[in-house]
Amino acid sequence: MTAPAETKPNGPVAAAFLAAGVGSLVLGLFVVLNEMSEDINQFLRFDENYGLGSGVGPLSGKVTLGVIAYFVSWIVLHVALRGREVNFRNAFVASLVLVGLGFALTFPPIFMLFAPAE
Amino acid sequence: MELTDRELYTVLHGLVLGTLFLLAFAGGLAGLWSLGERLVTPEGVVERTRRLLIGTWVMAIVAWLTVLTGTFIAYPWYRAAPPEAVDTTDPSQLAEYPRYLLLAQEKTAQWHEFGMEWKEHVAWIAPMLATAVAFAVAYYGVQLIRRGEIRRAALVFFTLAFLAAGIAGLFGAFITKAAPVA
Repeated sequence: MTAPAETKPNGPVAAAFLAAGVGSLVLGLFVVLNEMSEDINQFLRFDENYGLGSGVGPLSGKVTLGVIAYFVSWIVLHVALRGREVNFRNAFVASLVLVGLGFALTFPPIFMLFAPAE
Repeated sequence: MELTDRELYTVLHGLVLGTLFLLAFAGGLAGLWSLGERLVTPEGVVERTRRLLIGTWVMAIVAWLTVLTGTFIAYPWYRAAPPEAVDTTDPSQLAEYPRYLLLAQEKTAQWHEFGMEWKEHVAWIAPMLATAVAFAVAYYGVQLIRRGEIRRAALVFFTLAFLAAGIAGLFGAFITKAAPVA
């Protein structure tokens, strides 16, 4: 693909949008995993395990891993797509699907489906 | 008439940062929406792009500040556990423990089980989306006017960021009313 006249290639912007989708999805996945497993719940207590905040509980791990996934995926995708003109429509649709999954997995009636029955 | 340190902080977290976020969103949305080649002169494009850049980065930075301060400062106050001597079924003993106060009463339990559980997670999606938009505006600058597909995508992401922050802000206001962090 070629960029419209006198504009930069869209690869870096596609990378930024996709990375936001990846970060949202990873956040949502850890919200679900936290409900599924006591071991993962303990692992996600980054405040107790790594001193990241105090009294935050497993939320500290969920958001930290989501943000790390966001920035790492952004760097990787940026390097992969820089200087390239990509099909932005496809990249944007993929981003929306990832963000939509992230939204859905942070919705309590959905993530509580994965909690063990009491 | 006085505010405790915690009340003052929650005002800063919810009201001050929240208002800045709303203002930046309104400005950014209007800027993205109206940035069409037929609508703006070349001089106008430069001026509008500068404003758009400020609006989108303010929104992104404020979104990060809001989730960071909310999660690592206010949230621990909210979820603090009472000492063993406190009866967690007696609301009159739980004024300093908002999470337990909400859960102690059937009529308020959903504010925690649904409202807080959603708010504390969904809020973190907002800064990621807002940063992607701010990056797109910074990357293209005045060229954004010739990139309609990216402008439209940025509008969608910007609106989703506002939606995520709006859910968090709305539940934050209701929860603070039901069980203030004092």
